[in-house]
Amino acid sequence: MKLIERYVSEVGKNLPLIKGREDIEKELRSTLEDMLEERAEKAGRPVDEAMEIELLKEYGSPNKVAMTYNPQPYLIGPRMFPFFLTVLKIVIPIVVIVLLVLTGIQAVTETPLMGREFINIIGDGLAGIVSAAITATGYIIVIFAILERVLPDSEIDDLKTDEDWNPASLTENDPDTVKRGDLIAEIAFTFVGLAILNLYPEILGMSFFSDGDFFFVPMFSDIFLKFVPWINAIFLIEIVLDIYLLRKAIWTIGTRIVNIILSVASLTLAVVFIRTTDIIGFTAESFANSPFTPEQAEKFITIANVAFSISLIVVIVIVSIELIKAVIGLVRSLNKK
Amino acid sequence: MANTESLENVVLELRRGVIVLAALSQLSTEQYGYSLLKQLSDQGLEVDQGTLYPLLRRLETQGLLESVWKLEEARPRRYYIISAEGKKILPKLKKEWFDIVSVMKKMLT
Repeated sequence: MKLIERYVSEVGKNLPLIKGREDIEKELRSTLEDMLEERAEKAGRPVDEAMEIELLKEYGSPNKVAMTYNPQPYLIGPRMFPFFLTVLKIVIPIVVIVLLVLTGIQAVTETPLMGREFINIIGDGLAGIVSAAITATGYIIVIFAILERVLPDSEIDDLKTDEDWNPASLTENDPDTVKRGDLIAEIAFTFVGLAILNLYPEILGMSFFSDGDFFFVPMFSDIFLKFVPWINAIFLIEIVLDIYLLRKAIWTIGTRIVNIILSVASLTLAVVFIRTTDIIGFTAESFANSPFTPEQAEKFITIANVAFSISLIVVIVIVSIELIKAVIGLVRSLNKK
Repeated sequence: MANTESLENVVLELRRGVIVLAALSQLSTEQYGYSLLKQLSDQGLEVDQGTLYPLLRRLETQGLLESVWKLEEARPRRYYIISAEGKKILPKLKKEWFDIVSVMKKMLT
């Protein structure tokens, strides 16, 4: 019976950390002894090692036997999996887009848009995005694997929203329903914008070493700084509105009006920026001590100014479309009343 | 080769559901795992130990079976018996089974 003892303890080692492990071992031992006894009776001779070996071989490898008791063969079970995918689909694009924008800003503001440094920043940025996306995926998997084991079954069943699914929702296309994905993305971007503007303004500029000295040329002039409180106010109200909409899940006349006011304010600010000269901090004087030749500096200043104007025009077009949509939505809501 | 494998899988799937009903139906009197295995086998239903033992534990967790350890012939044995909850469910399962059989009989003949 020595082999049976070793076999049982080997199965025990392979058993997952579940309740009743000793119980399983005890029951397995009892079964194997029953079977062995029966075989000995049939063979008409006492139990010997050959008989034990034959029996254990038929019963299967300890690992295989242990696996049949595993109540949790999944890292993330089939009930949790759809929810896991949903979270992954929201988080990964946000991580990628935010880092892509940050890399873009860094590349445009910290390099002369060409040369080795520019390529290095882009290369590092892209490598960083891949590793950040993999890291984020890893974290989400770990969180879900833990939830799968910690949450009671009833809670997991609550995650299934499909049961409340109403076929009527197929035909209903309520323009008042908010698009959660858009809102989450908007909150993320606005937050990043706020953080850069207030906490890391050094990203918005060019820094370089020349003759062992460190130079920093800010992208924006002091004139721009006067507008920062206004930008902050618009961004903050935007975030508050988005969070409120996420909770309410539906547009109301009140929120539509706030949204229109925000769009008008953003539009006004963009137009004021376009009409204000010297908002860009890159000037011939600011590059005086830089390693650039005056010609290079001048070329770069022109590129920066044109790029800034183009970005503002893009912003104006996007905000205008949003404004028109918001006004149409408001008119529709008012007509419904 | 692939055909044999898929045939085996389908047969396995078919039997899996049946084993629950078979086990519940035989446990109106208490039995330990190995005696149940033999009883099922004697009646023509061969069940693998690796299937039956974990299944008995699962049915117990679900409250359909109860179990108790008894010491006999110098060996502890775990005896299973159908619980009150299991007794409530068994007639419904039987009805479901006979319905399936009659539908499938019509469909297949």
